[in-house]
Amino acid sequence: MKILIIEDEKQLVKSMAQFLRQESYVCEIAYTASEANEKILLFDYDCILLDISLPDGNGLKILEKLKDNNKSDGVIIITAKNSLDDRVKGLNLGADDYLSKPFYLPELSARVSAIIRRKRFDGNNKICFREITVDLLGKIASVNDQTVELTRKEYDLLIFLISNKNRVVSKNAIAEHLSGDDAELMDKFDFIYSHIKNLKKKLSESGCEDYIRTVYGLGYKFTA
Amino acid sequence: MRLLQVSLRSLLLYSLILVLVSIPVSIFSIREILNEEVDESLALHSDQFIKHIKSYEYLEDLEMDLKIWDQLSYDITIKPSEGVNAVKQYQTVLQYDSIEQELHRFRLLTSSVDIKNKPYLLTIRMSLVDNDELVMALGIVQAVLIVLLAAGLLLLNRSLSRKLWKPFYNTLNQLKAYELDKNESIKPEKTNIIEFDDLNKTISHLTDRNRKVFLQQKEFIENASHELQTPLAIFQSKLDNLMQNPSLSESEASTILELEQTAQRMTRLNKNLLLLSKIDNDQFTDLEEIELSQLASTLLSNLKSMADLEKISIQTTIDPLTIKANQTLIEVLLTNLFHNAIRHTTSTGKVSVEIKGRVLKVANTGNPLTMDSDKMFERFSKEGRSENSSGLGLAIVKKICDSSAYKLSYHFQEGIHIFSITF
Repeated sequence: MKILIIEDEKQLVKSMAQFLRQESYVCEIAYTASEANEKILLFDYDCILLDISLPDGNGLKILEKLKDNNKSDGVIIITAKNSLDDRVKGLNLGADDYLSKPFYLPELSARVSAIIRRKRFDGNNKICFREITVDLLGKIASVNDQTVELTRKEYDLLIFLISNKNRVVSKNAIAEHLSGDDAELMDKFDFIYSHIKNLKKKLSESGCEDYIRTVYGLGYKFTA
Repeated sequence: MRLLQVSLRSLLLYSLILVLVSIPVSIFSIREILNEEVDESLALHSDQFIKHIKSYEYLEDLEMDLKIWDQLSYDITIKPSEGVNAVKQYQTVLQYDSIEQELHRFRLLTSSVDIKNKPYLLTIRMSLVDNDELVMALGIVQAVLIVLLAAGLLLLNRSLSRKLWKPFYNTLNQLKAYELDKNESIKPEKTNIIEFDDLNKTISHLTDRNRKVFLQQKEFIENASHELQTPLAIFQSKLDNLMQNPSLSESEASTILELEQTAQRMTRLNKNLLLLSKIDNDQFTDLEEIELSQLASTLLSNLKSMADLEKISIQTTIDPLTIKANQTLIEVLLTNLFHNAIRHTTSTGKVSVEIKGRVLKVANTGNPLTMDSDKMFERFSKEGRSENSSGLGLAIVKKICDSSAYKLSYHFQEGIHIFSITF
């Protein structure tokens, strides 16, 4: 699966690419709008990560060009300007998602995989990890074809962890993913802990192996 | 005290002193002049009298005649000098006035005169103006003068302050109403008075320059916050990669977590500063109909699981309320109020949210404030030492209320903090 990162901050691009490559994505990079324009015409990508403010032009122009050429690449807009205007404009122009800086790389990764799934399987898809199957359309998780009753937060948590399988995901990233702005209210991550505990319990009660590892109080890792 | 009152006071004081001093001075000088006049006419009279007497050669029994004369005449006495040889002299004396039947001041001229080789003492007197009456008359005149002067000055002063100082008060009122972040600039009216025009020009210049600096400052804060987002993103992404290292030790892992939490704090601070400056810069202008009741319920239900952890109960009494406002701002407003309530509720406490009419009330049980309740809405004022709190939440609440003209109030009673907002 091919991803194009359009972003002028070299250090950020390096980290993003490093993280995404672990998920065995192929990452190509464009540091300028002109480079990006060239690449989107020549190749098709599963997902494009697009920074709006580029040194030689507005990223929204690239988005327009994509749509003009009937390209169906998934696009996630990444911007430092957390303004509603840009978000609305971007989504109206056909972007699939919007992420404002700064962001957690597991969050980026989860969004990228969500878009790729949607594009590849037309939304009608399932995530499978060993005995676990998640039906994204019906929002149902099952273990060995047996439905596991999960709360919305537990369901979101499971998808987030599977999307970042084999990688350490920090408690902060999980808290932000599950609660957005409300995350700042949480002290000492009791909140995350209780959700993880409940999810683990429900999965193991359904006969699922324990894939959720605790990493030194730093976070969790979903791994076989 | 007004400037004109000060000058009026000095003017009045000066005229009062002048008038008061003028009373004795004028009495004295008038009396001097009168005395001189009287003396002159006395001298004239006595000369004429002597001339006449000397020409009456036919008078036989002079002594008898003079006696009779002395009896009859009112103002002139003539007596044999009986050895007293007085020099010609003027004097002022109090004498009994037989006509008015009271003591009266007279001016006397005494001189010795030889009639038919016999020495006589001739005294001519003339009534003088009564001292008391003179003082009285002058006093009345001066009193009237004082009253007229004061009344005139007051009237003049009033009309002057109305007309002359009008442009000054205009400028002053504009300055009083001036708010750096709202008004465009001060536009004083043109006057023909150099000082006022000078003042107005200086004020316009000053406010324009202040406003320019203020706008630059505002822009700077927004730009700075924007520029910080990218390095923060780089920092966070490096941490995300670093924690993938399988050979991390436990202490390294906890350092990474601490770094991440610090980065998160910076991110929140930055986000809130950016939000504040965006509100300042009026960047939330899109208004729409918002079902406040529904929005509040949704936000509260998201918070429920977090409140449960601390055994905090959330009670709601929410009547339907729709307002026309900016969606982002209202969400931030409610979120910050709810967060604040939950954050400062002691464990097993209670948060209650009520919407009634156009009033939203958010109340929570908690310890009394240690800081001044006025300070609560200032930036970076924190109650307690919560690291998760940016100290900007309530400042943002206040800013949103101010910019949307909502009435925000806080009070504490019987262990309950109550914030209420009237939309």
